Amino acid sequence: MKVFLKHDDLKKLLEGIAREGRLFAPVKKDWYSGWARVSSMGEIVLRGEQAQLKGEEVNSREPAKVFVFPQSEVMFEFDEERAVEATEVPAVVVFGLRSCDGRAMAFLERFFVENRPEDPLVRQRREKATLIGVACNSPADSCFCTAVGGGPHERKGLDVLLREVNGGFLGEAETEKGEKLLAGFPAANEKDEAEAEKRRQEAEGKMALRIDLKRLKEVLDKGFNSPVWERLALECVNCGACTFLCPTCHCFDVTDETVRGKKKRSRVWDSCQFTLYSQHASGHNPRLNPAARYRNRVMDKFKYTVDMVGELSCVGCGRCVRVCPAGIDIRVAVAEILREEEAGKDGQ
Amino acid sequence: MSKVERLRQRAKELLERQEVVVVLGYRASSRPGISQAAFITQKEDARHLIFDSTCSQNLANYLLKVKGKGRVAVVARGCDSRSIVVLLQEKQIEREKVYILGVSCEGVVVQGEKSVACRSCRYPNPVIYDEMIGEEVHFEPETVDDEFDQLTPDERWEVLSAEVERCIRCYACRQVCPNCYCPVCFVDASMPALVGKTHNVSDNMVFHIMRALHMAGRCVECGACHRACPMGINLMRFNRQVAKIVRERFGLVAGAKPDEMPALTIFKPEDPQEFIR
Repeated sequence: MKVFLKHDDLKKLLEGIAREGRLFAPVKKDWYSGWARVSSMGEIVLRGEQAQLKGEEVNSREPAKVFVFPQSEVMFEFDEERAVEATEVPAVVVFGLRSCDGRAMAFLERFFVENRPEDPLVRQRREKATLIGVACNSPADSCFCTAVGGGPHERKGLDVLLREVNGGFLGEAETEKGEKLLAGFPAANEKDEAEAEKRRQEAEGKMALRIDLKRLKEVLDKGFNSPVWERLALECVNCGACTFLCPTCHCFDVTDETVRGKKKRSRVWDSCQFTLYSQHASGHNPRLNPAARYRNRVMDKFKYTVDMVGELSCVGCGRCVRVCPAGIDIRVAVAEILREEEAGKDGQ
Repeated sequence: MSKVERLRQRAKELLERQEVVVVLGYRASSRPGISQAAFITQKEDARHLIFDSTCSQNLANYLLKVKGKGRVAVVARGCDSRSIVVLLQEKQIEREKVYILGVSCEGVVVQGEKSVACRSCRYPNPVIYDEMIGEEVHFEPETVDDEFDQLTPDERWEVLSAEVERCIRCYACRQVCPNCYCPVCFVDASMPALVGKTHNVSDNMVFHIMRALHMAGRCVECGACHRACPMGINLMRFNRQVAKIVRERFGLVAGAKPDEMPALTIFKPEDPQEFIR
């Protein structure tokens, strides 16, 4: 069921949630926007305002994965006798994530929860989070969600998707939680639906890139030892910016720390771009070569997670493209990988 | 002939005459306003070389990556050339293995503004080169960060805490830095671990302060780390303070004079030493 929310209705809805201290949304952090608890609507920075910020930033710099998979979280506290598991996670409402991040949430659920054994931490956090997505009408030149099977108005992974139209938003629930949230709002009319569709088509039209994903997978299946990796990885400095800010990257390390006498076991983000990530206790490191680490990231996005859970782990949000200090563009890498394969065929 | 045309021509010649195996320069990336390192090995690819205000990276960083592959030509501005000097002083590269194509620079532009580091640049021209491409430039550096100098230690702590609070420990700053080349960084030491891995201001601060101290007398203030930071942390706040102290107290500027001994390797009787009581 599609409902219509006037700007004022949405404001009232969100203000009610904010009063309970549960509302998180993108706010201006530097030239970019990032997630924070908000108390008034004025703090929220969505597309319109973001477009006025310097640079190209139409989405929060940090991915929305931080709500189900924070950079560091305590799993349990312990002493010599016992371990006490982390207390319950608080309920949050996340407003303003884009469809790409929604899709990333669906991926993380698939990876951590549906893929047994489930990860109770991610499950709890996802259960306690209500995700109100806002459809994207102005993708950046670094965006490519449509090339990896998504779309700027997709609902997957969200609880509610809001699509901006004249005078308000068209609201569509994807889950029961979403339906509850939208209950009581009047049904949308055909005119609004047509308007939202028009905006969707316009947004999709701004992303021209197409990737033959099936062929890419086939090429990667055989491409582990391809010479392409050494060449592509030349500029890569092996920092973790792309992986940490990727909405689907899900690797973590486990670490024990004692803080003021309390022993805590935490999990923290880790990145395949770091040497330490693949360092064995024996001292051997199978990914000492920077190119091998670069390869791992691309393989993970377009092959490994497909093999593991049947889903791509690139949602085309373009964050890695925007944040790379070396100016690397994963779209160019993909094109090179496919071209290399073509060239190889010609040579035979 | 423009600077870029000259650069391309010389790169082509160097490769043609097999004087170098690779020319390390800049090329345009897939996105406007962003350039990336170019590793030119074929003379016909020299036409891809560019040099303009989008060239954000310090290419001296990549010299370590192509070490051992033969003689390398590298495009170097003032700051990059100073990084090369530091690498030479620290015996990380050999002078005869590097052919420096010097270029003058009027500053890197990030999102329409001159990069913070470049605003106070005192070395727009290379301090060491094998040949100069184009003319030298001269301009007055801006004075910046004066207000930070006036703050009390507690106030400075506040300012720096607010900066590093955003740090996600991706280590982009460390990875793009030519003079941050330890085989095992102290943050990656695991036996014993020296810095906590959880995300908090105090561990973030340990990383940034330790890194700043390790860069004392070595950081050339190129600002590559600041431009690399995906969270926009003003790393120049750290870098400037460290460079300033070394300059004011020891009269030394990292990498500025190829034949000068670096700050951390010399002792002069007149060095300030009031900390010894």
